[in-house]
Amino acid sequence: MSTPAAHAVAVRTRGIDMFFGDGETKVTALKQADFEANRGELIMLVGPSGCGKTTLLSVIAGTLTPQTGTVEVFGQRLDGLSQEELTTFRRKHLGFVFQSFNLIPTLTVLENVMVPLLIQGTAQAVAVAKARAMLEKVGLKGREEGRPNALSGGQQQRVAIARALVHEPSLLICDEPTSALDKDTGAQIMQMVRDLSRSPERCVVVVTHDHRIFRFADRIAEMEDGRIRRVVEDASLLDTNHL
Amino acid sequence: MYRLALNMLFGDRAKLAMLLCGLAFSALLMAQQTSVFFGIMSWTYTPVHNIRAPIWVSDPMVEQANDAKPMRDTDLYRVRSVDGVAWAAPLHTSFLQARMQDGNFKLITMVGIDADTFAGAPAVLSQGRIEDLRLPNTVIVDEWGAQLMGRVTKGPDGKEVVIPLKVGDTFEVNDLEARIVGICKVRRAFTGGPFVYTTYDRTKLYTLGARRTLSFMLVEPQPGVDPAKLCARIEADTGLKAWTSETVIWSWSDLSLARNTFWWFWKNTGIPFSFGTAVALGLFVGIAVSGQTFYSFVLENLKYFAAIKAMGAGMGVIARMLLVQAFTAGLLGFGLGVGMAQAIGRAMIEKGMPPFVMFPQIFWATLALVLGISLVSAIIGIIKVSRVDAATVFRG
Repeated sequence: MSTPAAHAVAVRTRGIDMFFGDGETKVTALKQADFEANRGELIMLVGPSGCGKTTLLSVIAGTLTPQTGTVEVFGQRLDGLSQEELTTFRRKHLGFVFQSFNLIPTLTVLENVMVPLLIQGTAQAVAVAKARAMLEKVGLKGREEGRPNALSGGQQQRVAIARALVHEPSLLICDEPTSALDKDTGAQIMQMVRDLSRSPERCVVVVTHDHRIFRFADRIAEMEDGRIRRVVEDASLLDTNHL
Repeated sequence: MYRLALNMLFGDRAKLAMLLCGLAFSALLMAQQTSVFFGIMSWTYTPVHNIRAPIWVSDPMVEQANDAKPMRDTDLYRVRSVDGVAWAAPLHTSFLQARMQDGNFKLITMVGIDADTFAGAPAVLSQGRIEDLRLPNTVIVDEWGAQLMGRVTKGPDGKEVVIPLKVGDTFEVNDLEARIVGICKVRRAFTGGPFVYTTYDRTKLYTLGARRTLSFMLVEPQPGVDPAKLCARIEADTGLKAWTSETVIWSWSDLSLARNTFWWFWKNTGIPFSFGTAVALGLFVGIAVSGQTFYSFVLENLKYFAAIKAMGAGMGVIARMLLVQAFTAGLLGFGLGVGMAQAIGRAMIEKGMPPFVMFPQIFWATLALVLGISLVSAIIGIIKVSRVDAATVFRG
């Protein structure tokens, strides 16, 4: 299941504590969360609602800074970086696929895919060419000038994936990528994500509740009460009723 | 990113239309009301505009061009004797009642000019000759007066039509005949009465032999003499008040009769307050409508801005995107609003009422205010987006 380069660690968190609020309203989201993902690997974070999956994903993505612990992504320590440095890091190394796609409805499909490139300061013409190529790669050639709302859910998620990968990020973060999709479309999307993860320079972390897609994971990290309970390679070992 | 920012703006046409309506209405209200205000205020110094002379001399108690305090005729000789004066001519202005052929009375502004030099005579006559003013009992009426004082009759369709006065028509002023020998083109006056020009000497007859009829003196400096310095010399030598005739109301010169007239009306009438209220209303409506609409635009796009933030766009980039959007809407709204103000102004100018003067300063001030509204709107949006945590994109 693993590629030859998969042994090198892509993402590592150690002793992450994360809580929100204080006093009586204090909510602990992560408790000494230790997590590892390897290069060339597609790893899923699963667990019941409120177990801390999204918080851990946000910490890995550098959009939340934990109170304690260390975060390392492709050799770069994120803890201790300033907001500006984190923003730069995300810009260069991270791609995002959001639960609700977050495609900008007033922009064309092509323009949506160009966004990460333009944020990086890529020239317009280059951005257009790269975005077109990426859309072709995800099977959306000919739909470049349409609006996202004119596409089906599966097509919109493909656009979101194209947008997440167009700037060739090392780490692809997917938050519930199939929650708005039917079974077949979800499977197609996950096959595409899995294929894209097969590179020693890339790692894919997927947060999901959707047990139908567990089979696409190289490994599955099960979370409970703010920490990683166990990591399995075989989805059948999980009690899906519990998730 | 700025192109995408514009596409985001133009992509939501309903919101853009609402935004442009607010900004355009605001610009229209500010530009149109200010232009009408300055148009009306420009009428206050119409005498200085119509009666052209480098220097005006008046009684020292006079405060503005419509405020005539008669002087003695001998004062004219005193002014002529001041060193640097090339010539000085008398000028009479007064409000009188004209009795028309149909028995109706009309208020007129009678202007008496020097019959020898015609100093202060209207520059353009659409009918007649200025020289005919030397004939007995003759007057020249302005075009608007010819219309206002014209004979009302029924047309073929039964509707009332005005037959304007023409050369050869007559009316009476204080029971003395006034025969029209010319129709002139001059700017209308704030006081409303049409201008009726005659000779200075004849005004003594029309005013029933008033003892003093010298309202102003029109003075020409000798070549090379600075008008401002000559004004000071006239004041020092005669004790009278001397004014320069430039009509730039923005000038800092205390000597300008037009400027002093403008500011006299500014201070002593409710006109600025009235128009100022309308302009302020335009500004507040602009801020309220545009600010609210832009804020709503930002709110609707908040999750996309959060996503852009998560993808690695700094607040600087997002702030500039919002500024580009707000200023683009501002410029378009300004163009629409000022365009409409100009269109309305042109229609007004054709009708002659109310006056409409859009100084370049009004254009630029309206632009600055509309962009100010846009800036406020953008800042509200920037504050909102800056408070959005990029991590919210993972919360569904």
